[in-house]
Amino acid sequence: MRQVALNTHISGTFNIELENLRNSVLTMGGEVEQQLLDTLKALKLNHPGLAEKVVLNDLKINSMEIQIDEECIRIIAKRHPTASDLRLIMTISKAITDIERMGDEIERIAKLVTRNKLPSSDTIKSSMLLIGERVAAMMRGTFDAFARQDESAALAVYKQDNRIDSEYKRLLTYTTTEMEKTTEDMQDWLDVLWAMRSLERIGDRCKNVCEYVVYLTRGTDVRHTPLENIHQKLEDLS
Amino acid sequence: MLKLFERNTLNVADITDETTAIDVRNLNLWFGNKHVLNDISMRIPKNKITALIGQSGCGKSTLVNCFNRLNDLYDGCKYEGEINIGGRNINSKKVNVSRLRTQVGMVFQRPNPFPMSIYDNVCYGLRLQGIKTRRHLDDAVESALKEAALWDEVKDRLFESANALSGGQQQRLVIARALALKPDILLLDEPTSALDPLTTLFIEELMAELKKRCTIVIVTHNMQQASRVSDYTAFFHQGRLVEYADSDSLFTMPEKKQTEDYITGRYG
Repeated sequence: MRQVALNTHISGTFNIELENLRNSVLTMGGEVEQQLLDTLKALKLNHPGLAEKVVLNDLKINSMEIQIDEECIRIIAKRHPTASDLRLIMTISKAITDIERMGDEIERIAKLVTRNKLPSSDTIKSSMLLIGERVAAMMRGTFDAFARQDESAALAVYKQDNRIDSEYKRLLTYTTTEMEKTTEDMQDWLDVLWAMRSLERIGDRCKNVCEYVVYLTRGTDVRHTPLENIHQKLEDLS
Repeated sequence: MLKLFERNTLNVADITDETTAIDVRNLNLWFGNKHVLNDISMRIPKNKITALIGQSGCGKSTLVNCFNRLNDLYDGCKYEGEINIGGRNINSKKVNVSRLRTQVGMVFQRPNPFPMSIYDNVCYGLRLQGIKTRRHLDDAVESALKEAALWDEVKDRLFESANALSGGQQQRLVIARALALKPDILLLDEPTSALDPLTTLFIEELMAELKKRCTIVIVTHNMQQASRVSDYTAFFHQGRLVEYADSDSLFTMPEKKQTEDYITGRYG
């Protein structure tokens, strides 16, 4: 594993710029993680006020994406980064798009809570909360792997998505069975399905960021590659 | 909204009388019949790095040479318009050119140490000014070499020939020689084009430090260098100033198509 040393350039200003850029991604990631935790809390306690705060806070995350993107463009234009520096900038530029979309998925769930469109079944709600906790752990692991530029940690987090996917499928089957028992409030059921789907999508977004971490440290693109082939690809490189 | 990056946004329009180091007004210059600089007006800000870019023959070096009246050395050179430095027009016949050149230092493309010791190189200008006291000269040499980030490399061989230094060291020595005179302005004409890429980065980092104490104007053919080091950039074409803006704007969203074509390598 080769880490990108951010503070070893001859230009002290460039060192500071890269360090700030990396820290800004972690700040953005921290915000999104807090948004998810707040949303899960709002869902658990049926707290529309807290969910409203999450919806409003999403604007902050959108603004962060734009600021970080602008800084990436500025650094590319002014510093002409190469090799590990270029990979870092490209990783950040791609990762923040996924992180911003995680924010959008969270906002979608929070909006449900603000409109009191909660799952009527306790089983569905508690399953959603369980998946939500797994997604939050995956998110934490993703940002941690990025911060430490640790491809092994990134791949370990990457694998966690399988479990989330299967739990989501199980919940989906259960929910559709419940839906069949009733013909009322079909729109409410659809909203719940979308919220479940959003949780699952956050896991996918985390997986994307983990793939970028592998690109950052190893310089190989592992997107759209099955996990076993990723390991093979990395072994071939070493 | 949370601001992730603290940055001073620069803008040419914000350069005031107080923050101007060099105020060029309607400057025209001819070599014989050739009109080399055509009605140049620009304000170069204090304690910033301003890069002048453009094709060979666009007039950027000629403009820099105007700032310490080096063009006076060429026969057939005539100019009109004003260049105000420190509140006086340096194009005036009354200006003491020698004094001007201590105030406005110059470093050229090829390192040009004098054939003498490192020590004597640095205090050459001071001796010309009549400073002879050994202690004074010692202090000035040490201070200038430290400012030029060369002291640690040469402190044990100050009385050896400057010609024994590497290209990068020689260029820093030449910068130290200029700094010994405590200039307000440092003009750098292609200061790194004869140096390797790493030494170039060292000189660029040195510039970033030096701008805290003086104004720097750099002429460069290397656009990447201009974008890396400068706060402001001026693009010249055929003796005219096409665009002058803060470097962040000029290298991401230039206003003029001609600038865009030049910096993106589309110049026909």
